[in-house]
Amino acid sequence: MRIAFSLLAASLVLASTVPVAGHHAFGAEFDPNAPIKLQGKVVKLEWVNPHAWIHIAVVKDGKPEVWMVEGGTPNTLLRRGLTRDSLTVGTELVVDGYQTKDHSLKRANGRDVTFTDGRKMFMGSSGTGAPRDGRDPGEGKKPPPPPAR
Amino acid sequence: MPPRHLTFGTFGFAALSAGLLFANVAAQAPAGIAKPWTLPRTADGHPDLQGNWTNATVTPIERPAGQPTVLSKDVVARIEKGVVDRIERLAAPSDPNREAPPQGGDGSTGAAGNVGGYNNFWIDAGERVAMVNGEYRTSLIVDPPDGRVPALTPEARERQAARVKRFQQFGEYDNPENRPLAERCIASFGSNAGPPMLPNYFYNNNYTIVQTKDHVLVMTEMVHDARVIRIGKHHQHPPAHVRPWWGDSIGWWEGDTLVVETTNFHPQQIFRGASDTLKVTERLSRVDADSLLYKFTIDDPATFTRPWSGEVPFEAMTDLIYEYACHEGNYALSNVLSGERSQEKARAAAKKSPQQ
Repeated sequence: MRIAFSLLAASLVLASTVPVAGHHAFGAEFDPNAPIKLQGKVVKLEWVNPHAWIHIAVVKDGKPEVWMVEGGTPNTLLRRGLTRDSLTVGTELVVDGYQTKDHSLKRANGRDVTFTDGRKMFMGSSGTGAPRDGRDPGEGKKPPPPPAR
Repeated sequence: MPPRHLTFGTFGFAALSAGLLFANVAAQAPAGIAKPWTLPRTADGHPDLQGNWTNATVTPIERPAGQPTVLSKDVVARIEKGVVDRIERLAAPSDPNREAPPQGGDGSTGAAGNVGGYNNFWIDAGERVAMVNGEYRTSLIVDPPDGRVPALTPEARERQAARVKRFQQFGEYDNPENRPLAERCIASFGSNAGPPMLPNYFYNNNYTIVQTKDHVLVMTEMVHDARVIRIGKHHQHPPAHVRPWWGDSIGWWEGDTLVVETTNFHPQQIFRGASDTLKVTERLSRVDADSLLYKFTIDDPATFTRPWSGEVPFEAMTDLIYEYACHEGNYALSNVLSGERSQEKARAAAKKSPQQ
């Protein structure tokens, strides 16, 4: 689903011809006619499958609101040592995406989620870019996970 | 053969360049005289297949048009560098002052559904070309020799048309039952859990194998799907009306190869529109300390004009597999359904308003 198509098609000589049936087409959930840009501080992180949700407090039309932003599966990030504690409450983020088709919900997909300087959350020039994940210089080393077998 | 099971995490965070990636591979090759590998065995004397394994790869199931059967090392290096380069490119910072994405959608296709999905850092699609018997493969299918799924029978085409017609009675978003099993967290997407167990080209292509004398269990990370394979040719498949989500699997040992035969597939979880008489035969064997060779054959004369087979390398993982706990898509399914109800109301209101 999603970016997998462009990954295979754009980068490889071996272009996949097999459609990947995802959990859901994001087009089923979000409204292409409701683009949105949000900036605000993290108030809560739901580190759940199938998709993580980041709650951020924003000010929209002069009013404070809390928006939920959909990300990917936490399993992939957990293997890289990134947990719900890697993104601390209070971190300010910039998000662009599309709002859910039900506009009464304050929810959007995290099409691009970055810090306020534009660095990708969980991916930066130093270490992972994730705050306090133990991999950036100056932080205590995070112990490696136990062997799988 | 050096291990070919580097993870995204390895190069994503430890070696953000192709040069370092391959240096890392070289560093894992045994130094000096290599100790000969001995096939590990369980207490009952059979090969020990247990552990965590991944079948993530960039090699597609079917061979793209115009590709040779195998690739040279140089071409593989170029492809794999292309994957790393792309991940790096997508990790580059965005403009912090960017505007909201375009009205009407961002033009993304496929499952990104014109709204763009989410950042690439969530993705772990596989970075390596599949290598089997020392060959870099351009398709996982090995038979027919063109690497393509054989043509469907006329009966299969009719069956698929009837299925489409049946579904068209309902709106796509009318109810949860019309939504895909993967969206509902009932089954993995693609044929991840299988059988056949194939990569999904997206993430979590990981498996845990647990083995006893009488059973082999294969747990697929996506979506916490566990296949329990009864061992012994004396076992029989259940009556035709018994149809578990991943079919009914009976296994036996042929020398050092575990052979598994699966029938009784669930009608909603059937592989590529196959009929209820589909039989999948899998063969799992250990190649070396770091890999398994997984072979499969699809046999369904009512659907495919000939049987077809594939080979998929499973590489040992040093990473953990996490429980993929979710229920009915959590927020996703309710967002999809409430979104449609909301749009129905909006359409009804728009229809009314010109007359008022």
